[in-house]
Amino acid sequence: MTTADQFNVHYLKKHYAKRQVLDEVTFSLQAGQTHLLSGDNGAGKTTLLRILAGLEKPDSIQIDLGMGPLNWRHVKKTLQQHALYLHQHPYMFDGTVSYNLGYAIGVKLTKQERQRQIDKALEWADLKQLSQAPAKSLSGGEKQRVSLARAWLKRPSILLLDEPTSNLDQESRHRTLSLLEAFKSDGTAMLLASHDPMHFPSLIDQHLRLDQGKLIRIDDQNPIEFDQTHPNFRSTA
Amino acid sequence: MPESLPQPNTDHMDSLTTTTLAALELLFSGNPELWEIIAISFRVSGVAILVASPPALLVAFILAYYQFPGRRLLISINSTLLSVPAVVVGLTLFILLSRQGPLGEWKLLFTQTAMVLGQIALAFPILVAMGHSALQACDRRAWETARTLGATPLRALITIMREARFGLMAALLAAFGRIIAEVGASMMLGGNILHYTRNIPTAIALESSKGEFAQGIALGLVLLILAFTLNAFLQHFQGKGQPA
Repeated sequence: MTTADQFNVHYLKKHYAKRQVLDEVTFSLQAGQTHLLSGDNGAGKTTLLRILAGLEKPDSIQIDLGMGPLNWRHVKKTLQQHALYLHQHPYMFDGTVSYNLGYAIGVKLTKQERQRQIDKALEWADLKQLSQAPAKSLSGGEKQRVSLARAWLKRPSILLLDEPTSNLDQESRHRTLSLLEAFKSDGTAMLLASHDPMHFPSLIDQHLRLDQGKLIRIDDQNPIEFDQTHPNFRSTA
Repeated sequence: MPESLPQPNTDHMDSLTTTTLAALELLFSGNPELWEIIAISFRVSGVAILVASPPALLVAFILAYYQFPGRRLLISINSTLLSVPAVVVGLTLFILLSRQGPLGEWKLLFTQTAMVLGQIALAFPILVAMGHSALQACDRRAWETARTLGATPLRALITIMREARFGLMAALLAAFGRIIAEVGASMMLGGNILHYTRNIPTAIALESSKGEFAQGIALGLVLLILAFTLNAFLQHFQGKGQPA
């Protein structure tokens, strides 16, 4: 977080060719809150997440650092220090699950300390029995848990999630949701892109919608409507 | 009475068999001159690959992962360099290194260093082209995942190299196979000096021109065995590099 519990983004702009994907987007993320980012396919959800992760350069952006305007290099560095982006389909490095978790720890710790942290992450994500399995051969749900465990080891202030439960079966979805709830309890701000808010009824604190490059906040006057008959609603609420 | 059909000339067959047997004897009896030539070949080509690989793979990475003006032109130039004959590379370096050339003061002509330079020039475009293909085939999410997990650009680069290691190993083997068997640049830049710059291909050329086929065939067998071994490894690594 750039301040104690709030991260503010102003005037975020991005265009591709002649299309303005993000048009002066301004919003805040709060610690311990989950912000749902919805929008149609191609609305710019993934672009927004990738810019906040420092993986893509915007046309313009301002973030609150209390030190005046900064160039993209500094903004990118700050974003990479605070935010962690999880792909829709997580990438697993060639190696075991333990190797993948160890990657998030860095290279400065002793071997024993690294192993201790890996063990804790394996336990956290219920992956102990898969610790020596080749990560590339895991199922989609297991890969998602490994990627969340890697994120848990990094302890980011902001977690940027791109359709984290798409293509997952019901059981994997529930396990992913419970891990995301653990992040929320730990005070992590989450920005979660999904075209289907019904997948995360118990997690969401604020609903932001991208429409033709503009970010619309769906608040009490314009509430998100959950379908209470949806199977996810009943099982996770 | 029909005329009898011409009979195959068995003298040539006998001659080839005798020469091949003599070649095998030379090879396995540990003939010091022969093995010295083999050692020079491996040393020169090994050093050339070691020196050429880091910058070539870095260029391959930049071409695969960064967009910048002139990138396509660089790829086209590199592809063109792939098809330049070894003798042309040798001639160009010969002019540069000859006494009247701009680098004549270095006095490198007819040394192993000159041969290494020639082989670097030959290996570089192969390493860039094959390295570029291998790195481009590597999933872009690997780089992004490494960076978002806090890896420095250098650590992320090493990670990408590790992910694409089978394709990169294939590039190294292909480049090594190409330079250890080339004769044009080595002949022009090394001068084929016995005990110093005579390597396998230049020795084969010399011995064949003298009519001494046994040593030529023995050295040819070494190249053949090497080519087979490199290809076996190449198949192995390229197979492993395929996505599951």
